[in-house]
Amino acid sequence: MTNELRNPAQKLWQDQPVEGVTMSVEVIRKRAAKFERKIRWRNVREYVAALIAAVPLGYFFVTARDVFARITFGLLIAGLAWMVVQLHRKGSVRSMPTEVSTLTSLQFYRAELERQREAVNTVWSWYLAPLIPGLLVYTVWSAIRSPRPSAWLGLALLDAVIASMFYVIWKMNVRAARCLQRMIDELKAENLR
Amino acid sequence: MTVDSTPDALYHDAARLHGAALGRLARAYEADADLRRDLLQEIHIALWRSFSTFDGRCSLRTWIYRVAHNVAASHVLHQRRTRPEAMVGLEELENLPDGDNVLQAAERALSLDRLLNMIQRLKPLDRHVILSYLEGHDAAAISEITGLSPGNVAVKIHRIKSLLACQFQQGETR
Repeated sequence: MTNELRNPAQKLWQDQPVEGVTMSVEVIRKRAAKFERKIRWRNVREYVAALIAAVPLGYFFVTARDVFARITFGLLIAGLAWMVVQLHRKGSVRSMPTEVSTLTSLQFYRAELERQREAVNTVWSWYLAPLIPGLLVYTVWSAIRSPRPSAWLGLALLDAVIASMFYVIWKMNVRAARCLQRMIDELKAENLR
Repeated sequence: MTVDSTPDALYHDAARLHGAALGRLARAYEADADLRRDLLQEIHIALWRSFSTFDGRCSLRTWIYRVAHNVAASHVLHQRRTRPEAMVGLEELENLPDGDNVLQAAERALSLDRLLNMIQRLKPLDRHVILSYLEGHDAAAISEITGLSPGNVAVKIHRIKSLLACQFQQGETR
């Protein structure tokens, strides 16, 4: 606190009533443990959700009658597993970064923005691409199994819908990455002032 | 470090001396009461954990505010990453087209809610500077915590003072 006389805004700000301003060490220990449990459970829920999504694929994999079908569902399960691992690694659910106390606000804020930009910039490699091999094999397998123009047309439509969804997800992420880049550039400019 | 500088003791001092300021900080970063409680708790937990690596190379106050603002900035980014355009910088706030209305409204109500509303619209770094200013930190301390150059901090404080003077319809000397 400086010796400078407080102006009305500072006085108003500092005199405001606030809740929950003190926590004993015992309380903070308990809350830290509770917070960690919460994070663990959220991770478990993510894995369970992925497992539920994988169950029908697993069923089809086990009951598949030919090699193509088995490869298709095997690849889709592998793709899903890869997505879950990457999601977890990229911190959709995470505890506070360790740099929180070592970096200045400018460095920390920039690092957080860059981390988020990296995640959305690479969305192809960890969110969309893992599903493509399985979908491709499924297309080829279906085309071979049902060599009729009407079946091929249906298959083409299905692939077009999936491709459109991928395109929309990709475009949304490109836009998010641009927005994050703008924010990073603004911070770089702040650093130069 | 002295015997009294154990992480628990440091946390105890931090909570006792800066608890109120941390509560105000949380209020400036999160409007929703439930989320604010979570954020405040997260700040306290991060602080308590951080003291195990506190090496005394900066002041305790710098350390506390650095941790608190970084946790809060991270919270803001996660809450608002889908609509980052909702946050503005000091420059945009100064140049709002409806500045006259803002001024008139500020003239009518010298209210904390109005001040909070203004702060909560700022980008984390600008929010950090204005909060530090409101808490009475000097430019050197703000520069040390944020990593901004002293000149940049001085410019921002000047803008903040002008902004607050408009809001509270009282000129102030620098």
